[in-house]
Amino acid sequence: MFYDLHIHSCLSPCAEEEMTPNNIVNMALLKELDLIAVTDHNSVRQLPAVAKVAEAMGLRMLYGAELESSEEVHVLGLYDELEKAMSLQPWLDQHLPFIPNDEHYFGKEELRDENDELIGKEERLLIISLDQDLESCIEAIHATGGKAILAHVLDRKNSVTNQLGFIPEGLAYDGLEVKDEYQRQQVCKTHPWIRDEETFWLIDSDAHRLIDMSERVNSLPHSELQKMWRKLS
Amino acid sequence: MKVSEAAQKAGFQVIVPGEDQEIEGIYCGDLLSWVMGKGQPGQAWITVQSHLNVIAVAVLREFSCLILAEGAQFPPEVIERAENEGLCLLCSELPVYETALKLHETGI
Repeated sequence: MFYDLHIHSCLSPCAEEEMTPNNIVNMALLKELDLIAVTDHNSVRQLPAVAKVAEAMGLRMLYGAELESSEEVHVLGLYDELEKAMSLQPWLDQHLPFIPNDEHYFGKEELRDENDELIGKEERLLIISLDQDLESCIEAIHATGGKAILAHVLDRKNSVTNQLGFIPEGLAYDGLEVKDEYQRQQVCKTHPWIRDEETFWLIDSDAHRLIDMSERVNSLPHSELQKMWRKLS
Repeated sequence: MKVSEAAQKAGFQVIVPGEDQEIEGIYCGDLLSWVMGKGQPGQAWITVQSHLNVIAVAVLREFSCLILAEGAQFPPEVIERAENEGLCLLCSELPVYETALKLHETGI
C-alpha cells in the first residue's frame, strides 16, 4: 500500500493555496497513492471536506493533525475514523493560544468545502505551539483514539531531536516519521533504546505544495497498518 | 564561586541543592540539540526548557547547575531525577537575559 500520511491543506498558513481538498485527492490519485492523510497544523477542521472528496473518488485516507507541543516539537495524530479525529478539535481550541493570524506574513488559513469553495477562514494563527507539553499532546491523541507519530524526527526545525536533543526513552509514541532510510538508520544508531524492528516507521512528504506529495515509493503492508491500529486500541 | 553562594547572591530559588559545584561560566539556550553540542563543563545553564530531557543534557555536558528562568516551574519528575543525579536546580523569576546579568553581577 503506497502512502503519504503527512500532507498540509490550504488551512495551514504555510501551505500553498492550491492545496484544496480536490487538488490533494486528485494529485494522490495521479501519483497512484493508495492511502493519504491530511495533517494541518493544530487543526482538524479541513478534514470533513477532504474525506468527502476522497470517498467520492475512491481514495483511502486517514484523518490527522500535526500538533505543536509547548517545546515546539511536531507530532502527528492519525485516526482511522473522521469522528475520532474531529473529537480532538475542542482540545486543540482549548490549548491553542489566541494570536490572530496575519495572513500577509504567515499566509492564508482557508477552509474549503468538497467543491473547493471557500467556506471560512481560521482567525487564529495555527503555526504556534499549544500550551501543552509533548507528553500531554500524545495523551490527548490517545484519549481521542488516535496514534501519535513523532514528525520528521531528524529535521533541523520543530523535530523532537532538535528541540529536546534526543527521543526520550519511554515516551508513549506509536511511530516515528523520517525522510528516508538513511535517517531511519541514524535514529537507530543514536538511540540504542529504539528497536528498529519493533518500531512503526513512516516516510512522508510533509507536503505544503502539490508537487511535493510523495511519489509511489513508500509502502506499508496492509497487515502492518492494521497491526498498528490494533495496538493500544 | 560555588553554586550555593551564587544562588544566594543572585536571589535564585534553590529547588534541588545537588552537589555544590564551582560555576565556570554561563550558557543560555533552549534547543537541547544545540545545548548538547555547545555547552561546556562547569557552566551554569539558563533555559526556559523544563522537559525531562534537560537532566540528561545537563549531566552529559557536566553543567554546574540548571537555572529555569522567566518564573517557569520544574515538573515533579524533573526534580526527582535531578535529586538522583545530584544536579542543582535553581529558579529565577527574571527573563533569561536578566538572569544571566544577575549571575554575572555576582562575580561570575
